[in-house]
Amino acid sequence: MRLLVIEDEDRLSGILKSKLGDIGFTVDIAGSAGDASAALELINYDAAILDLGLPDGDGLAVLTATRQIGKGLPILILTARDAVEDRVAGLNAGADDYLTKPFAIAELIARIKALLRRPGGVLGMTLEAGNLRLDTVGRDLTIGGVPARLSRRELAILEQMMRRFGRIVPKAVLEEKLYGIDEEPDSNPIPVHIHHLRRQLDAAGASLMIHTIRGVGYILAEMKA
Amino acid sequence: MSRRIKSLQLRLTVELAALFFVASCLAVGGLIYSASLTAGSLADRELGLRAEDLARYVSLDENRKPRLELPPPLNQAYSAAAQQSVFAIRDKDGQLVEASTPEIGALTARWPQADSEPSYFRLSKFGPLERDYSGVSIRLDSAVGPLSVLVAEVSGGNQLVHSILREFVFDIAWYVPPFVAVALLVAAFSVRRSLLPLRAASAQASVIGPGSIGLRLPEADVPTEALPLVVAVNHALDRLEQGFVIQRRFTANAAHELRTPLTVITARLETLEGNGQLSALREEVARMNRLVEQLLCVARLDSVALDVSSPLDLHELAEEVVGSMAHLALSACRTVALTGADHPVLVTGNAAAIADALRNLIENALAHTAPGTEVVVEVGPEGAISVQDSGPGIPAEDRRHIFERFWRGKGVRAHGAGLGLAIVMEIVRAHGASITVSDRVPRGARFDLRFRAA
Repeated sequence: MRLLVIEDEDRLSGILKSKLGDIGFTVDIAGSAGDASAALELINYDAAILDLGLPDGDGLAVLTATRQIGKGLPILILTARDAVEDRVAGLNAGADDYLTKPFAIAELIARIKALLRRPGGVLGMTLEAGNLRLDTVGRDLTIGGVPARLSRRELAILEQMMRRFGRIVPKAVLEEKLYGIDEEPDSNPIPVHIHHLRRQLDAAGASLMIHTIRGVGYILAEMKA
Repeated sequence: MSRRIKSLQLRLTVELAALFFVASCLAVGGLIYSASLTAGSLADRELGLRAEDLARYVSLDENRKPRLELPPPLNQAYSAAAQQSVFAIRDKDGQLVEASTPEIGALTARWPQADSEPSYFRLSKFGPLERDYSGVSIRLDSAVGPLSVLVAEVSGGNQLVHSILREFVFDIAWYVPPFVAVALLVAAFSVRRSLLPLRAASAQASVIGPGSIGLRLPEADVPTEALPLVVAVNHALDRLEQGFVIQRRFTANAAHELRTPLTVITARLETLEGNGQLSALREEVARMNRLVEQLLCVARLDSVALDVSSPLDLHELAEEVVGSMAHLALSACRTVALTGADHPVLVTGNAAAIADALRNLIENALAHTAPGTEVVVEVGPEGAISVQDSGPGIPAEDRRHIFERFWRGKGVRAHGAGLGLAIVMEIVRAHGASITVSDRVPRGARFDLRFRAA
């Protein structure tokens, strides 16, 4: 899989290249908006990481130009937190996700993988988080290598949580996903499903657990609190 | 004068009052002086006429000796005021022709012959009345040759002239105090009115601060005399603003430039494998990352006026922020929660800034509450939002300091740089919102924010 990292800071792009290379990506580096546009036009990358602050132009222009020539590859933008407007403008211009600088490399890799696993993404349909492994096509879940049996709804919930591993999944998102697959009109409310799910993860020795964030939603994270 | 009057208005008024007072005194004094001169010359004239009258009625008797023969009305008048109006007449040989009283006769005998030029004199405590007299002595030609005539009158006897004068002076003097008062009022009013633009300028000056360095003093309508000062102050403000802008740009640039190396350090640290020291190092770098972020936030708040005019849903915003902080809280063995209103709460403000404020409050609460506890964000109706923890609370004496930049409570473990709450305060201020700190029951601190409902 081939990624394009558009970043003018050599030391940063060097680290990104080596870290992404370690997990099997081929990484090209573009240090300017001009190089980036040329590379994106010539080569069909699987994804791109775009720093919005480039020396010779606005990263946003690269983004818009890429979308205009019909390239739909996932693009993750890097922005500074103090440039909220950039972030919003980036998402509006067709970015798929964003990270604020300074960021953790692990977080960046997780986000890139998540983007590539999206429907239509090039990465296999297998989600991994902790010692959980979920084949989103075959609907098979293994916990520490051991197959686990979950109901369809619980699996759907877990899939959402794994896709956003370490990030909050709002209640509303889960509700929306469940309504899509629920045939039974008097199904259990989400807290009940979460409760079941938690018990089964615990029983199967999962390294992760589902935390409830009152008033907001749920989050799948390492067992700590 | 040891203590100088600082008020221009008061000084002008006092000085004008003194001027008016002196001028009025001079005018009235001059009036009285010239009036009394006139009165004096009137009296002198009358004495002279009386002397001529007396000389006219001197004639030779059967013994060819000079003798005074007054017509009855005059004679009556002189005898009626025998002591008030005295006279003495001598002939050219110095022989007394007539004297109205023996005292004046005796006095005249000792005097030299009078001259044709009138000579005026004063007598003090004279005669049986022991009063002051003023008189004239003059040589006059008559039917019996030159005569030396002396006429004197009790001083102040000329009551009529003096009373007229007194009345006149008092009539005039009566006008002086009201005139002075009106003039002073006009002066005070005009001074006050011409100083009004200066008052406006000082009102403007009092609102100039680090958050409003672009403001200048109004130069329109300022009196010409004060204009150079106002212009100079404005120029000084220009220079200060430049310095300020440079300073801020420096902070922003420095923080911005720190960010990339920090990202590189963070990334490199992640690739290293090691013992507990490494994770301590990672924590330290994470702290530094946060500090740089906060510095940038402060620099931004200082340099750009926040647009606080957009409508936003406080509940949705709180949901997003609490959600985004959940992982951070969990990795610190704490948790966060959102309670209160479960529906949109519309307020007017800047969503990104309010989110920043909330993030800083939650971070602060997480740092001060024990592991295993929950930081609660509560959204109330009408733009209220609170952040509550179960920590030790904030001592009353610290409450006015916690919002100062780089302030940290005593005995609090060095967690942050002390910028978080200062950022919160800046954002609250920019929104015209309010923030209060109180104790949470049964334990903990509670920050209450109230924004303007949309």
